[in-house]
Amino acid sequence: MKFVAVIRQVPDSESRLKIDAGRVDLSSATLILDQMDEYAVEEVIRLQEKHGGESVIVALGPERFEEAVRTALAMGADRAIHLVQEGYLDPITQAEALAEALRAEAPDVVLTGGQQADWDSQALGPAIAEALGWPVVTWTTALELEDGQARAKHDLDEGAEVVRVSLPAVFTTQQGLNEPRYPTLPGIMKAKKKEIRKIPISAASKVEVLEQSIQERSRLGKVLDGTKDPHAAASELIRLLHEEAKVI
Amino acid sequence: MVTTSSGTQMLDYLGLSELFTPEEREIQRSSRRFLDDVALPYIGQWWEEGSFPTHLIRRFGEMGFLGPTIPAEYGGAGVSSAAYGLIAYELERVDSGLRSFCSVQSSLVMYPIYAFGSEEQKREYLPKLATGELVGCFGLTEPDGGSDPDGNMKTRARKDGDGYVLTGTKMWITNGNLAHIAIVWAKDDGGVVRGFIVPTDTPGFKANEVRHKASLRASVTSELVLEDVRVPASAVLPGVKGLKGPLSCLTQARFGIAWGALGALEAVYTEALAFSQTRTTFGKPIGSRQLVQEKLVRMLSDHTKGLLVAWRLAQLKDAGKLRPQQVSLGKRDNVRAALNAARSAREILGGSGITLEYHSIRHMLNLETVDTYEGTHDIHTLILGRDITGLNALE
Ligand SMILES: Cc1cc2nc3c(=O)[nH]c(=O)nc-3n(C[C@H](O)[C@H](O)[C@H](O)COP(=O)(O)OP(=O)(O)OC[C@H]3O[C@@H](n4cnc5c(N)ncnc54)[C@H](O)[C@@H]3O)c2cc1C
Repeated sequence: MKFVAVIRQVPDSESRLKIDAGRVDLSSATLILDQMDEYAVEEVIRLQEKHGGESVIVALGPERFEEAVRTALAMGADRAIHLVQEGYLDPITQAEALAEALRAEAPDVVLTGGQQADWDSQALGPAIAEALGWPVVTWTTALELEDGQARAKHDLDEGAEVVRVSLPAVFTTQQGLNEPRYPTLPGIMKAKKKEIRKIPISAASKVEVLEQSIQERSRLGKVLDGTKDPHAAASELIRLLHEEAKVI
Repeated sequence: MVTTSSGTQMLDYLGLSELFTPEEREIQRSSRRFLDDVALPYIGQWWEEGSFPTHLIRRFGEMGFLGPTIPAEYGGAGVSSAAYGLIAYELERVDSGLRSFCSVQSSLVMYPIYAFGSEEQKREYLPKLATGELVGCFGLTEPDGGSDPDGNMKTRARKDGDGYVLTGTKMWITNGNLAHIAIVWAKDDGGVVRGFIVPTDTPGFKANEVRHKASLRASVTSELVLEDVRVPASAVLPGVKGLKGPLSCLTQARFGIAWGALGALEAVYTEALAFSQTRTTFGKPIGSRQLVQEKLVRMLSDHTKGLLVAWRLAQLKDAGKLRPQQVSLGKRDNVRAALNAARSAREILGGSGITLEYHSIRHMLNLETVDTYEGTHDIHTLILGRDITGLNALE
């Protein structure tokens, strides 16, 4: 059997991002394998460990994505295909380009992150399924293969359901699907020699980004001194929560 | 430019990580994530209890932290010296005790077996030391003094039939009570220093744990007593004679310490910086005060320069051009810089700084050991002084 994880590289959630001329400036950010995609990588490796076959990483993105692809290979995947294109592509356009590569690979299972850490988009997995004409299960928390079919548990808005789905199929990940392994030193050294097939593409984005901004979340840094008059400090805290923060 | 650490990103003011290979960067990130999950949240407690987390030994083995530069055929990962340095950095960012464990296993036990051992010794011990199935320790220092290991070495290896009989006492031995094998340095009948692989369950071998330490508490330190310990001739490390055996091991370990100390420096700097930005006195954060800024800048500056030194040592080491005196410079300066930074950080934290809720005082106390072992600060000064003047102030 063949198992594919579709991955992306994103800024570390703790990186401090800046806006430069209306664009997110990634130059001082640490870029990592998206943690939601990491569940996908772990799952394809586990599926391969259990059922044999091959685990393959597929990525679409700029040249810099290679470092995230290597991370996935260091975790244990066999090889990778990197569709290389600089600049922004909307998820639907990405899915169309990815679908072509995936069709050629003909995997049994495709996994990708349930939500992207950078743009918060949840579209990629379903869009890939749509482009391939395959079923999709979103927010997967458990996945078993049996008799050419998959049995999956996945989260709904306020609950969960267990479904049986024919293969090939696309699954998007949810936290709790598994616990991703850390790339080990031997794994990292082996990954250096694994194949990454680079395919330059030139897809035309249907969505053009005109301007980006980052929501500023700053603390007011208001500190009340409760050591001298705790009663007065408590009253002041209540007043601030009521009148300024408007939370009580 | 990275003025503080966040996520898996190390403190890196000059963007030195661009000098690392992609594998080295990956190793740094992966090591940090792993250690942030399994060690950092608990280290204060282990230190306070005075216990080493033995459950992590196998995990260190799985990650490849044990003997990382040893070739894969002997169970190592075959990584570069900079990668080894980055592992030491990440371990010591958590605690000097964790780094000490790995330094001893990798540089003081696996290295001499790899460099001076017979093929049988390498095949027998290295793979098991790499997984953590076996733990080793390194016995050079004796109760009469560590700075002059030749002059003060009383441990003797008397030739007896086919084998040797070892007698003597070793002091301050890291991992002593955890170890399955000890690399013991002793003088033979001709007064020549030889290295022996001694299984710690050999009759006559005893390890006594050193208690009441106020430094390196999350590490096991022991006295080794050898009373007529009989070992076969196959226990001798055949590839080396004389003090250069143990000294070449120390060069390996000191190289790692030059990196490791900077991990501790990052930890105390990051903690002091964050504290200085939120702690307010006289209506302003203390970080806005010149006196506090000067301390923070000195830490950052020392870290940045130290990292350049460490990186350069790694390049020289992989090129086979590294001189022990150059390692002395890195060990001496980076450890003292980290110790000074830890003292400053402790000061910036005020009263909070004396508790184990914060990391700085633990690092400060640990670094007193790091400044002392593997050649004290002053001994390295004299090694360098001798190197540049040609005049020997040591002896
Ligand atoms: C926690 C811990 C773990 C250790 N782990 C190990 C281990 O695993 N294996 C091992 O073999 N050893 C180990 N050591 C020993 C360590 O290497 C020695 O403590 C160190 O070399 C100093 O030796 P000493 O303590 O005997 O001090 P001494 O050599 O007695 O020195 C005392 C003081 O005199 C100074 N001094 C000495 N000679 C001179 C001189 N010529 N001129 C000027 N000043 C001088 C020194 O700088 C020092 O300040 C460890 C030590 C500690 C504290």
